[in-house]
Amino acid sequence: MALRKALTPLLHWFRTRFGHVPVGAWLLGAAVAAFLERLLGPDLAYLLGLGSVPAIFGLSIILKTPSLIPSVLVFVVLMYVIPTLVVAWLSRALFLWWEEQLSVPVYVFLHVLFLFLVLYFWSQVDPYRLLVLRLLGINILLTLSLNLVNGWMGEFSVSVAGFMSVGAYVSSVFMVWGFVHDDVFGPPVFPEFLAPFAFPLALILAGAVTAVTALLVAVPSFRTRGDYLAIITLAYVFIVKSTVENLDFIGGPRGFMNQPEVASFTVVFIWTVLGIWVMWNYVTSILGKATNAVRDNESAAEMMTVDTRKVKIVAFLTHAFWSGVAGGLYAHVLGYINPSSFDLRKSAEILGMLYLGGLNSVSGSIVGPVLFMFLTEILRPFQLAKWLVIPVILIYAMIRRPRGLMGFQELRIPFLTRRQQAKEEARAYGVTGN
Amino acid sequence: MALLEIRNMTHWFGGLRAVYNFNTRIEPGEIRGLIGPNGAGKTTVFNLVTGFYTPTEGQIFFLGREITGLRPHQIGRLGISRTFQNLRLWTHLTALDNVKIAYYSQIRYGLIGAFFNTRARREEEERIDHEARQLMRMLDIDQYAHRVVSGLPYGIQRKVEIARALATKPKLLLLDEPTAGMGPAEMEETMAFIRRIRDQFNLTIWLIEHKMKFVMGLCGWIQVLNFGEIIAEGPPEEIQRNPEVIRAYLGEMVEL
Amino acid sequence: MEQLAQQLFNALQWGSFYALIALGYSMVYSILMLFNFAHGDVFMVATYIGYFVATALLGLAVLQVLPFSNIVIFVLTLILTMFLASFVGIAVELVAYRPLRDAPRASAAITGLMVGIFMETAVLALLGASRKDFPLLIPPITFKIGPVHVTNLKILTLVMAFALMLLLHLFISRTKVGMAMRAMSFDYAVVPLLGIPMNTIIAFTFALGSALAGAAGIFFGMAYPVLDPYMGVLIGWKAFVAAILGGRGSIFGAVVGGFLLGFIEILVAATLPSTMRDLIAYSIVLLILTFRPYGLFGEEYSVRLRL
Ligand SMILES: Nc1ncnc2c1ncn2[C@@H]1O[C@H](COP(=O)(O)OP(=O)(O)O)[C@@H](O)[C@H]1O
Ligand SMILES: [Mg+2]
Repeated sequence: MALRKALTPLLHWFRTRFGHVPVGAWLLGAAVAAFLERLLGPDLAYLLGLGSVPAIFGLSIILKTPSLIPSVLVFVVLMYVIPTLVVAWLSRALFLWWEEQLSVPVYVFLHVLFLFLVLYFWSQVDPYRLLVLRLLGINILLTLSLNLVNGWMGEFSVSVAGFMSVGAYVSSVFMVWGFVHDDVFGPPVFPEFLAPFAFPLALILAGAVTAVTALLVAVPSFRTRGDYLAIITLAYVFIVKSTVENLDFIGGPRGFMNQPEVASFTVVFIWTVLGIWVMWNYVTSILGKATNAVRDNESAAEMMTVDTRKVKIVAFLTHAFWSGVAGGLYAHVLGYINPSSFDLRKSAEILGMLYLGGLNSVSGSIVGPVLFMFLTEILRPFQLAKWLVIPVILIYAMIRRPRGLMGFQELRIPFLTRRQQAKEEARAYGVTGN
Repeated sequence: MALLEIRNMTHWFGGLRAVYNFNTRIEPGEIRGLIGPNGAGKTTVFNLVTGFYTPTEGQIFFLGREITGLRPHQIGRLGISRTFQNLRLWTHLTALDNVKIAYYSQIRYGLIGAFFNTRARREEEERIDHEARQLMRMLDIDQYAHRVVSGLPYGIQRKVEIARALATKPKLLLLDEPTAGMGPAEMEETMAFIRRIRDQFNLTIWLIEHKMKFVMGLCGWIQVLNFGEIIAEGPPEEIQRNPEVIRAYLGEMVEL
Repeated sequence: MEQLAQQLFNALQWGSFYALIALGYSMVYSILMLFNFAHGDVFMVATYIGYFVATALLGLAVLQVLPFSNIVIFVLTLILTMFLASFVGIAVELVAYRPLRDAPRASAAITGLMVGIFMETAVLALLGASRKDFPLLIPPITFKIGPVHVTNLKILTLVMAFALMLLLHLFISRTKVGMAMRAMSFDYAVVPLLGIPMNTIIAFTFALGSALAGAAGIFFGMAYPVLDPYMGVLIGWKAFVAAILGGRGSIFGAVVGGFLLGFIEILVAATLPSTMRDLIAYSIVLLILTFRPYGLFGEEYSVRLRL
């Protein structure tokens, strides 16, 4: 309470000064800050007695050794806050001008580019950050694709770990067979330097095979909904795990390794953005919204000419495809997988991210994993305690906001909202323009 | 050629005979009435025609083509649409989205268009958006376009449901108790409304009603169902005088 | 043939475990329309409780001098464990389900899963480092029935499982709370007429289910003495599947489903490589659900909005 009181004037100052700074300017500011950290971060950290650059804004350091709080604060203010504020403030006019001049897709693309730069520079400092960011991208893909089925279609599927597993194994087998000298698969079939170019193919193959196996749960969904479908998705996870354990040529319960290092941060970022874009397109199209119709009233949807079976198949197969792709990325980020990497605990984790972020929301499927991973990563030094704290936080979040943080709503990005409004007014008066 | 023809349709729910030997021919442009006491099997007839159940016996023809056994969305595509006795709107969506989704079968851009936001998709969705708004304007509900339907007044929800049914471009529109829960004043209005949409959209209308006065004023031909069987049919004046009809309705609703 | 008869007893034993745990899932489902995803971990915690109770009782010199001390200790362990386990169930209800009574069901599923993960981790953190062996409560005796060997433990498990189910049946059909539970499973609207607060009925249901899981834990611990914080995940999910096989919310179905799953598993293990057990068992479950989507004794339900 007292804290809030103390912060109010500060917030007020911030709002009047920076309230109208466009998102893009903030991203540019953050990119500059991350770049500066890459240049000066290690030296500054040394000077402040932090040893190395604090991995995630020093939060886990603070939790572990509270005496370092001042140093961490100084580091964060010097390294992140000041450069971001200054650059954002200075570049705001540029972005406002761009907003006028550029078309929406170009302007959005610019934002994605700056976001990429922020994360890219930030991840270069520390291999641990690199790992976390790549896993974050993968988790966003998993959560968003699961949201199609659990949010947009209103089912309760838990098969995401199984889908991931199929994708991980298929892509791994393809890549190791093609591009790696391996005890089981022998010498590489293709020249090794082709591996990065073949990786997208491997991922698409992984997604496609996963989608085919997903028919096992999609077809029963014609006849049954709700709890029973949930059980079928549960059985799917066990069946996949058990099948993999029984396949000796991919290592059985021992696991499978030797995946080539092709899943760089850039690769994961591109696939994540691609996945978000594709799924966003789908759920905003009328074909995609028909998924909502199936959820809210299936028989009315049928009568209004919606082919509900097709809608269900598409939802499940899209979920499976992107989870398969995410699984493939996961296998190549870690370079080692085994059947128990993809058990129900994994599904529970993704479900946690999904329901934390909120159903039926693309932004929720980004916010959920970001928040969830932020928590798990700052708690990582505490190992076991991590899995005591996370459930507590999730339970608390569910009790306070049973629909998740962003359930049934999307984050509003100011300039997009402005464009939307202009278009809406034109439409309401029956003017069709593009 | 009749628009809709039903021959000897019978339907059993397990041991319950809900519809027995139902026959009818509906000509284009008609407003046809189906009445009968509660539980007589009227809604079941609609459910059979629209493909929610497959009749145990009998055949259904639409525009000379047999549609028995087709799934509802296929029948919907051929040109039959309906409203439901208890509103079945998509409650989490806006009124506009409710109407737009009913254009589903008219969409040509396909999954590729949906996933990759192609030009074809943008143009088509723009067109559908325009059409849907126009449709809503014709029914006087365009000011609710962006409201989530579950929050709208009941009467408006009914109109949204009709707009949604019209969006599928039907030739035959089935209305299941369109005046449920309405007072006499609204009823008059609804009668005019139904005639208006019939003319405006070139529809044939088949409606189920409980309230005699309503059907009498609207329909040219009425069939009376009791325990799944047609017990009488004819023009309104005849039905009103038919002793069997009166008997079936006695006790059920005295306020004929 | 002998092999088969031998396996029959194994199947009955595992069926008893599954059935006892599955009952907990089904009872909660029948009144809340909600699966308690933490139930497998309740079983695990109950088994640990059983371990401590048994060890403590075995340490009491007073009990050793009593006649039939084995049986006395066994019975005491069983009763005490069931009693304590019921509080674990009530705690789960209080934390994971009661605050979300009006929330979307999926949210309650998440809180349930999270409570389960919490319990696993807590047990792992507190006790996981050292290996816990369930003490020997009743010395094993092997009977020979014809060519078949049966241990007293298997018979005891089976007999006790049926006795407990009978008790449960009596409780539900004879006591006021039991009847309230039944009434509530038919219709929420009657609850105010029963004179028992709804939350009490729900808490009682969780308590009963957890007590049965506690009993299952004792029998399981006696048969497979090495305890493990993840045993709830392994066995709990299978019991859950058994509950579904029988038909959601059907008490009778849970018992049948439990034994059916026991038979399927043992049959697969007896005829095929043991690593195939889960694969075949779950495939059979998938098949059954494909042809009987509502389980063996569940009834069809109209498609509801679930969010
Ligand atoms: N899906 C169904 N399963 C079993 N019986 C049904 C089903 N639908 C309707 N019925 C029964 O069929 C009879 C006719 O119902 P319905 O067509 O809804 O009557 P109406 O619309 O004339 O009031 C009723 O007795 C009803 O209980
Ligand atoms: Mg009716």
